[in-house]
Amino acid sequence: MKNREIAIVGLGVHPYGKWPDKSMAELGCYAISQALEDAHMKWRDIETMACGAYMWIADQGGVPSLLLGTSISTMMGGTGIPCCNIVNACATGQSILREACLAVASGEHDIALAVGSDKSAGGFFRPQGNDKRYDNDWIRYAMVGETNPGYWAMEMRRRIHDCGTTEEDMAMVKVITSRGGVHNPNARYRKEYTLQEVLESPMVCDPLRLYEICATSDSASAIIVVPMDQAEKYTDKPILIEGLAVGSPSFGDPCIPLTYLSSYPQADVGTLGWSESRNALAAAYKQSGRTPDDINVVELPDNSSWHYLTYMDMILQLPYGGSDQLLRDGYFNVPDGKVPVCPSGGFGAFGEATVAQGLWQCIEVAYQLRGDLGPRQITNNPKVGLAQSYGYAGNNGVCIMSKAF
Amino acid sequence: MSKNKVPLAEGFFTWPSDQPKLIGSKCKVCGTPAFPKSPYCTNPDCEKKTENVEVIELSNKATLYTYAVQAYPMPEPFKMQPFEPFPLGMLDFPEGLRILGMLTTDQVEIGMQMEMTTRKLYEDDQNEYITWAWKPVK
Repeated sequence: MKNREIAIVGLGVHPYGKWPDKSMAELGCYAISQALEDAHMKWRDIETMACGAYMWIADQGGVPSLLLGTSISTMMGGTGIPCCNIVNACATGQSILREACLAVASGEHDIALAVGSDKSAGGFFRPQGNDKRYDNDWIRYAMVGETNPGYWAMEMRRRIHDCGTTEEDMAMVKVITSRGGVHNPNARYRKEYTLQEVLESPMVCDPLRLYEICATSDSASAIIVVPMDQAEKYTDKPILIEGLAVGSPSFGDPCIPLTYLSSYPQADVGTLGWSESRNALAAAYKQSGRTPDDINVVELPDNSSWHYLTYMDMILQLPYGGSDQLLRDGYFNVPDGKVPVCPSGGFGAFGEATVAQGLWQCIEVAYQLRGDLGPRQITNNPKVGLAQSYGYAGNNGVCIMSKAF
Repeated sequence: MSKNKVPLAEGFFTWPSDQPKLIGSKCKVCGTPAFPKSPYCTNPDCEKKTENVEVIELSNKATLYTYAVQAYPMPEPFKMQPFEPFPLGMLDFPEGLRILGMLTTDQVEIGMQMEMTTRKLYEDDQNEYITWAWKPVK
């Protein structure tokens, strides 16, 4: 961030799960209260807020959930501050954190809040209307039969073909990430899985099995940011935001992002794809001046085992398929690998809560950088961490953070 | 009497036809194709004039890039009666596009030449609702 250095001083998470008796606004207020307590602030101290807008309004919550920030600020008690509702699918978290940071970096405000709350549609995500003419999401789902895991499975099949990724590699992802989730009080599935359990779980979208894809959950997260030179008023463990970028796809990307029906692969974009993710990563590395060698801990979107491996290829700037061997060598182990990946337990232990999860990933990295997490504290004394989220329809967000105490 | 075969949504492939083809578009200036058809050329460096874009029919032969099998039943608005696990894939077209589609069989391999056809999703009293699909070239 150019004009002022930005510090994270308040973190709040509602435990992940299914909370049928709580509205999204209630979950959001809980997360904000936690973040305010963490930063020793009162609600009236917040000068501006950016909120994740709920995507699945045909299922739950309706328009008040699309305008969720306004619903949350009303439940907290209106203070008249700017409140924007933003939706960038699963990359919403990094997108709203970016809005909060820009509000502080510009000098317009000193205390900004990003909050996301979500009760994701159960089971396969599906179109939110019945518009056959203009909603390609409807077409890809109802006419092609492509679910989210169906897309991931097609990408996984191609990776197996190109790189030789094995059934055991895919299953080991869940085995390793579940070791973090078992100790995380906010995780929904606090169980350690064996290789055999994963390999024997039912096939959902061949070649992906049930325990190789994530569930959908209810949750909320909140982060409070201030200028670094004011951080000591609120915390003795500030976290510096070094790079925070949002990416969209480049023309010619060979991938067909969910909700789209085609791509037009061009040689100059490279043959690998996921350009929205590469674009966000490149921007965050450039802003921070960091390189992959600097990263000590990663929270990535392990929506499926395919994501985990593909994102580690990209984050570490490895050749296509390069992370398979590092996984086998224990490089990503939790809690004691060289670069632990998803020490929180990942989406595998938490489930997706679409517009809340990107913030939550940043929070889990910040927790590891603050330290003293007991049995889930990673053992490499992390200084720098990266949280990346991958969104529906070609949205991506990356946040690089470091310990500033 | 057999029921009418009706595309689930109009405008995606030529129908009725013995040799159905996907309907796309192409920029007359830079040659960039699109599916489904786009009112503007999607090349960021090409001018945005709707009169530059023409509707085209895509090749009915393509190469299988990858595939998967949806093994678990899906909620509506997807309807397949009765539900049975089905394969779907991405196909590379001679026009340069990569496009999603259902497959008629999971007995396929990456790189296989495929030919476009249609398949039934479900039916009601009057109609059989169909979508585009791909089968291996004999």
